[in-house]
Amino acid sequence: MSNLKYRVALIVALVAASVWALFPRTVVERVKRDGVFVYDTLRRVPLKRGLDLQGGMHLALEIDESKQAVTDKSDALDRALKVVRTRIDEFGVSEPVVQKVGTDRIIVELPGIDDQERAEAIVQKSAFLQFQITDETRAFDKVLPRLDQIIRDKGGVALGASGDSSNKSQVAALPNLFGTSDSAKAPGDTTKKDSSAVPGLNTGGALSKLVQLGEFAGEYFIGEQDVATVESYLEIPEVTTALPPGKMLRWSSDTLSVGGRVFRPLYLVDARPIITGEYLQNAKPNTTPIEGTVVEFELNNEGGRRFRSETGKHVGDYMAIVLDDRVMGRPPVIQSAIGTRGQITMGNRNLQAAQDLALVLRAGSLPVPLKIAEVRAIGASLGQDSIVKGQTAMMIAVGLVIAIMIGYYRFSGMLAVGALMLYIMFTLAMLAAFGAVLTLPGLAGLVLTVGIAVDANVLIFERIREELDRGKTVRTSVDEGFKHAWSAILDTSVTTILGGAVLYQYGTGPVKGFAVTLMAGISASLFCAVYVTKTFYLIWLARSKNVQTLSI
Amino acid sequence: MIRIFHDTKFDFIKWWRHAAIATIAFMLLGVGSYFVSGSPNYSIEFTGGTLMQLQFKQPPNPEELRAVVGVAAPGSEIQQYGSNTEYTVRAQDRTATEVTSTTAGVSKKVQEALSAKYGKDGFAVVRAEAVGPKVGSELRRGAVIAMLLVSLVTLIYLAFRFEWRFGVAAVLSTAHDVLVTFAFIKLFHIEVSLVVVGAILTLLGYSSNDTIIIFDRVRENLRKLRKETLYDTLNRAINETLPRSVLTHTTTVSATLALVLFAGEVLRPFAIVMTFGVVVATFSSIYVASPLLLWIERKYPRTVGDKAHASATQVRAEPKANTATDRPPRPTGRTAQRPAAR
Repeated sequence: MSNLKYRVALIVALVAASVWALFPRTVVERVKRDGVFVYDTLRRVPLKRGLDLQGGMHLALEIDESKQAVTDKSDALDRALKVVRTRIDEFGVSEPVVQKVGTDRIIVELPGIDDQERAEAIVQKSAFLQFQITDETRAFDKVLPRLDQIIRDKGGVALGASGDSSNKSQVAALPNLFGTSDSAKAPGDTTKKDSSAVPGLNTGGALSKLVQLGEFAGEYFIGEQDVATVESYLEIPEVTTALPPGKMLRWSSDTLSVGGRVFRPLYLVDARPIITGEYLQNAKPNTTPIEGTVVEFELNNEGGRRFRSETGKHVGDYMAIVLDDRVMGRPPVIQSAIGTRGQITMGNRNLQAAQDLALVLRAGSLPVPLKIAEVRAIGASLGQDSIVKGQTAMMIAVGLVIAIMIGYYRFSGMLAVGALMLYIMFTLAMLAAFGAVLTLPGLAGLVLTVGIAVDANVLIFERIREELDRGKTVRTSVDEGFKHAWSAILDTSVTTILGGAVLYQYGTGPVKGFAVTLMAGISASLFCAVYVTKTFYLIWLARSKNVQTLSI
Repeated sequence: MIRIFHDTKFDFIKWWRHAAIATIAFMLLGVGSYFVSGSPNYSIEFTGGTLMQLQFKQPPNPEELRAVVGVAAPGSEIQQYGSNTEYTVRAQDRTATEVTSTTAGVSKKVQEALSAKYGKDGFAVVRAEAVGPKVGSELRRGAVIAMLLVSLVTLIYLAFRFEWRFGVAAVLSTAHDVLVTFAFIKLFHIEVSLVVVGAILTLLGYSSNDTIIIFDRVRENLRKLRKETLYDTLNRAINETLPRSVLTHTTTVSATLALVLFAGEVLRPFAIVMTFGVVVATFSSIYVASPLLLWIERKYPRTVGDKAHASATQVRAEPKANTATDRPPRPTGRTAQRPAAR
């Protein structure tokens, strides 16, 4: 009798704990309202929903070794993780996940974020800031004929890489300092002429005819449609080695519109930066009437000292502000020595771009370049839709299982259904208590385990029926039924849990959620089917002393 | 008291040849289809590539949509997804080494082309995924490792709880289920996504469960009725667990069918595979696992002293191939490899 009391007490305690774990509580959530994210306080069941249910982004980042070899990947990744985490925290997402997976991958999960490009840019930007003095000696002009020569020798290779330059002849010609005025002619045409010996092939080289002088030494304008072509030329190894020593070419991040044509500036700068972003102390966005959107930055004392002495040497020169190998805005002329403060002109981009840049500058630069290995973005509406459909399927599955159980086992079926209800509650409570994430496959797992959960009850009931058939009393039959069904129930549960554990180990994202739900479900099912149902029987047997029949 | 299949005496194992022919034929059909039409339809999670799910305000003309997207992303697949306002675009850029180029490239191009055609508010991208080829190949390897590991763990556990013959029979029958399910996936052009692999792994568990229930009865009956042949013991165990099998599979199939019909497009492949798998698991635990156990017993008889048991098994299981019966029983002396806890 006291045994029964303990049983009931344990079940009541677990029910109370489950209710507490699942009780709606106040949470602060970032929600999107009219296109803007706002913090909102609401009460809801504390079950974490996966990205596929609430909408959001999942990113997997890897070290990009195509640009530089990384010796200690794990260490580099740890440092990159810190930077990415700082940036994400500043990005302002509620409950973001930033974690290292294995030795070479960082997983970023941003619930509620659906601006894919922006999020990708924020985590990926290496944010390496450099200040480089632009070339004063017109060194690029001098090597251009030599470069043309190389490209002509290598013609076939370069042209193969620049296939999309066929529509350039439609663009109006502009005066060009180098050779022919027909700057718009595609390089493809040039070689065709070259091979068929049409006159005029010496009037301009393949590269020089695409390049026009900028407003000061070291600045060059390339028609936007020719950028890919020029890039492919500049990637030829012989061209790279023929460039002026100690200098390097950098593209601008912005385009420039002159006389109806769009140009992208190209700068020849000193390879040695006068200062880098490691001395950066603070950065914040601002809007000025003249330059438009800017990011104002502040250097620390040492950086300021260095910057002052370097800019002092280069008064009158132009200084390119280089972020991630791109020149930001047009290089300003150095009027006098600059100290700790400066600003980056954002050109025609909006305030949000300035905010994001300030954010990544503050968070520091990535120690290694990262590339995106995987992206998933799920809209919030799709997530909501999935929840509704999952719930419908759940209701119907539970309804069917209840109908089958009560229809077939009558009174005992009702006991099983009672245990099933507790099972669903315990499973959800376990997920909430362990902070497990409920994903769409997890929801499917839950529905599936509802079907499987009654299996243990079915096994027990069939055993009880067999014992009754042998003419045993109700009390003995119930006892024996549970006893005999136990080994099969235990073995099946253990194998399923072992399978779930493997799935958890090797699964990713949503599938992990499925494995968690499966394991939680099986353990709850084991408890409910065996312990709870037995207790129900014991209560019933205790109440009706002289039972002769059992409705099963 | 409603009773279904109560106290039945079907000779299930008699039909093992028919069952074997049916299941091998189905598997061969799957393998044949593999050689005819190539590997199954893997999702971008495994192959790498870009997937976009688009939701339109107005149902678009499929041909028109195909044309618009085809220009923006050549070689992409467009499929209706559930209702006639939702479509998926799948571009599998096998040459891409990096995902960024694919994401920015393909999905941006498609979006631009679509907003030019349908207006910016005419459609919405409700899901966008891009997976690099490296992640894909890792996932493929992970899935295979997971399956082998689940099998191994089950084998070890069953060897420990029952004995190795039962473990081997259960694992082989589970492997059979996985192969048949693969054939099903291939024949019915179901897309193999991570979630479908999850379904197969769940199936591994479910299928061995079913076999375990029957073997548990065998284990019990072997203890009680030692004069019976294994052939009869197996048949009896299947018959005794038949009501349970029918009822449990009914509830499980109810749940998976609810998923097929009501849980939406994302879960449908999972639910279909699961439903098929439950049926196959039922079939295999009766017609595959039990005959396999008999076969293993014949090949590697127990070293128990009761030769009557072992030889009778062989006679009933394989009436024609009874050469083994003439073989003298193995020298005894080793302890019985009977199930534990006798």
